[in-house]
Amino acid sequence: MYAFNYHRAETLDQAQDLLAHYDDPKILAGGHTLLPTMKQRLANPSDLVDIAAISALKDIQHVGSMLSIGALETHAHVATSPIVQQAIPGLAALAGQIGDPHVRNRGTLGGSIANNDPAADYPAACLALSALIHTTRRHIKAQDFFIDLFETALEEHEIITRVEFPVPETSAYAKFPNPASRYALVGVYVAKTRNGVDVAVTGAGPVVFLATDLAEALTRSFMPGALDGVSINPEQLNDDLHASAAYRAHLIGIMTRQAVTTALARV
Amino acid sequence: MDSRPGKGMRVHQALRHDSALKHVSGEALYVDDLPAPSDMLHIYIAMSPHAHARILEMDLDAVRVVTGVAAVVSAGDIPGQNDVSPVAGDDPLFAEGEVYYAGQSLFAVAAESLEIARAAALEAKVQYEILTPLITIDQARQAGSYIEDSQTMACGDAAAALKNAPRRLKGRMIIGGQDHFYLEGQVALALPQEDGDMVIHSSTQHPSEVQHCVARVLGLASHSVTVEVRRMGGGFGGKETQPALMAAAAALVVRKTGRPAKLCLDRDDDMKLTGKRHDFEINYHVGFDETGRIEGIDLALASRCGYSEDLSSAINDRAMFHVDNAYFLGQATITSHRYKTHTVSNTAFRGFGGPQGMMGIERVMDEIAMALGKDPLDIRKVNLYGKAPRNITPYHQHVEDNVAPELITQLEAHARYRERRAEIKDFNRASPFLKKGLALTPVKFGISFTKTHLNQAGALIHIYADGSVHLNHGGTEMGQGLLIKVAQIIAEEFAIDLGCVKITATTTGKVPNTSATAASAGTDLNGMAALNAAQEIKGRLIAFAAKHYHCAREHISFSDNHVTIGNRVIAFADLVNQAYLARVSLSSTGFYKTPEIHYDRATHRGRPFYYFSYGAAVSEVVIDTLTGENKVLRVDILHDVGRSLNPAIDRGQIEGGFVQGMGWLTTEELYFDDGGHLLTHAPSTYKIPACSDRPVEFNIEIWEKGSNLKETIHRSKAVGEPPLMLAISVFSALGDAVASVAGHKFMPRLDAPATPERILTAVEETRRRAGVGKS
Repeated sequence: MYAFNYHRAETLDQAQDLLAHYDDPKILAGGHTLLPTMKQRLANPSDLVDIAAISALKDIQHVGSMLSIGALETHAHVATSPIVQQAIPGLAALAGQIGDPHVRNRGTLGGSIANNDPAADYPAACLALSALIHTTRRHIKAQDFFIDLFETALEEHEIITRVEFPVPETSAYAKFPNPASRYALVGVYVAKTRNGVDVAVTGAGPVVFLATDLAEALTRSFMPGALDGVSINPEQLNDDLHASAAYRAHLIGIMTRQAVTTALARV
Repeated sequence: MDSRPGKGMRVHQALRHDSALKHVSGEALYVDDLPAPSDMLHIYIAMSPHAHARILEMDLDAVRVVTGVAAVVSAGDIPGQNDVSPVAGDDPLFAEGEVYYAGQSLFAVAAESLEIARAAALEAKVQYEILTPLITIDQARQAGSYIEDSQTMACGDAAAALKNAPRRLKGRMIIGGQDHFYLEGQVALALPQEDGDMVIHSSTQHPSEVQHCVARVLGLASHSVTVEVRRMGGGFGGKETQPALMAAAAALVVRKTGRPAKLCLDRDDDMKLTGKRHDFEINYHVGFDETGRIEGIDLALASRCGYSEDLSSAINDRAMFHVDNAYFLGQATITSHRYKTHTVSNTAFRGFGGPQGMMGIERVMDEIAMALGKDPLDIRKVNLYGKAPRNITPYHQHVEDNVAPELITQLEAHARYRERRAEIKDFNRASPFLKKGLALTPVKFGISFTKTHLNQAGALIHIYADGSVHLNHGGTEMGQGLLIKVAQIIAEEFAIDLGCVKITATTTGKVPNTSATAASAGTDLNGMAALNAAQEIKGRLIAFAAKHYHCAREHISFSDNHVTIGNRVIAFADLVNQAYLARVSLSSTGFYKTPEIHYDRATHRGRPFYYFSYGAAVSEVVIDTLTGENKVLRVDILHDVGRSLNPAIDRGQIEGGFVQGMGWLTTEELYFDDGGHLLTHAPSTYKIPACSDRPVEFNIEIWEKGSNLKETIHRSKAVGEPPLMLAISVFSALGDAVASVAGHKFMPRLDAPATPERILTAVEETRRRAGVGKS
């Protein structure tokens, strides 16, 4: 790890002042990606602005048809929150499958989506549920937020404050973990609303994406059997040491069916 | 069961490992735990990023000037020979002129901290001319790149037998390699002594080889180098030849700086730099009759040896020795091609080629069963070695101790093989996506080093004047329980409590010219050598007692910490003290060499093995035909360890060996990219079995009838390697589950490791061949 200065912000305003003040600062939330990256000397920020103490970013509310989760809510808290479990049980279940207990107790919703790891779980939920990502400057639709591998619509020093999830009729996440790392080799989030079905896939490509063919078939009939005959084109998928593109394409179909079955059981 | 070592506890007792409590509490010292001398340097090895390249220039000046760097050493700094190989002289400590694999050591940086050394290494300016590497077996085959001549072993006329056989089939399988993944990585600590001498603490299964290598590199006589190892945190063959490099680099830094130096590889570097289990390709052509009995077979083995010879010659020989496993092959021709590639030099790994050889014949058994519509167990039984003339191996050794038929029959009944076969058939009929599989496979494993001269061992025993015993021998402890087994043997011989025998670190200063603790032979060899030393001292004590007490020798006996001399009983310690006062030597060396064995490598004939160890396992698995995921549901093992010296230790070896074999065949995947870079070099990408991957139900039984026909130490048998191959039953069961999707009409092509993706591919191919749609 290279040397850096550490700052602890108590409020969002203070955090923004600190970020504006230093050469090459980075925001520290749960630190579960940033700190290992720094230890490997792959990141060399001049200053870390720790936002973990900003209580305004820790809040879970279900108001009307919206579930709002503060950016600093940990995966463990989202997984066990009665409000989340009641409003969007698929989202609570997803949070409970991220990493291991250590990761879930430190890692945060905002940190995960800001990092946009291609195999992270939360981006699939955000995209399938058409979440709205609120920041210190604006709000961004999920489909405009996740741009590419580790790349998001966030601008320099922009801080995610909370994420709003429209509550669906039902939804579920199914994940095939890499046996070694437990990251999603393929993860599929299926959400059914009054307007139709959305299917978001993580782990399989460079960035989370919507599987529109699958979604259309499920919009016509929200049953696993509706996917028979719908094939997934492996061409754009990752082909690497973990799995071939063809195997990932196959798993997308299987995970989608699993998610539909689970979502149906939640109705 | 109270397993604390104490009163009356000697051989054939289930005693816990001597260091068990220390392992758990963290008090057991490994090399990296030893108190660091205050001026100790830390070493980092810089490694080649290319698989094959010419080094045009290596400018290390910028590394040397980094603050905190004490020395940078490369090939030009070596006063002796730039060679850390075990046999062939082809493993340079540091690359010279060319690099031959991605990960090869280029130079070493010694600094005040490991962080400084690692960062400084990045300052090196190395220019390469990239050359085309040979990475795969196929590429090496096309280029004609071998580490030595191909070998052929023949018994009878396989071609004629194949031609005349009523049935024939051909096939091919690929078997992946395996990283040792010892918990304690490679490490060496070198300490400067007077007159340029060197003391080295090395995590090694082969202290003598490390000693000789370090002496060779430094240009010293072997007597100037002492190598010591108290214990390793796992070896599995990965610390047989590999530790020489770490020790030599550390010693070279000591020579250059006069300061103590430690080299401790981190996991990623360890996996890239050090050798692994050979991956194999096996082609088979077998002729058999309608009962499934093999009449003739042609087996062609090919292995990826890597850039140098290391132990590949003997490893591939052992693969040839085990293509028969427990079966009489009739007329057999076995060929073996040893390919030289630009990858890390593959090395010893538990089983030493034997497991790969066995995989081929077990696949053949399954294929014959499918072809004939029979249960694979019946095919295995009909092919087992039997009475003459069905007792001759392809290398012309007679199988004289064959317990496989009896052991298999007992396991078949205990594990309810036939009933469960029927239950599984019912399950599979009713279950559209989950399919179960079952298999029973045997193991027959030859015991002895196949290089005859290695089958020797030495020991050194002192008895101090208070009656306490100091035990030392050439064998090393890697967690397998060798040291307590030998201590039990010595306690038994003197009839004293185990606590009276002090287990001590292995050191070249006490026992010279030892063989590696390897080939499962640690206890066989060192137990006998130690017994020999104990008997020598015991003989002196008896002679002294007979003279001192005017008693006939035959009236002197040892029992329960006492010695009976005629009608007088005195404490063992008292007799020892009296002998000391009477100026009797209470120290002795011991020696042992395995009898009867011989082998002519030119003709591949002889008796390479003193005896065979046997075992069998039944595995039941379930696969998900939608994803290829799988789980081992139940395993039943019956294993022959002769008369067990310590059933608790032996059970641990059986359980651990099985799980390690299971990892090799199911989840552990070495993935090299086209440029020859290993991409799975950490547990985040290389999946070893965890506790949750153990079989749901795991029944292990030591064969109570076991006894060695040969006069081994207390009629015990070697147990280190054989149980690993019991895991072939898991692989066969997975194949059985896959074959169930098409009514067991076709043997699916399934390569190892059987990852979910490979299982799914096999399921789909099997369905395609059978014209069966997705259910």
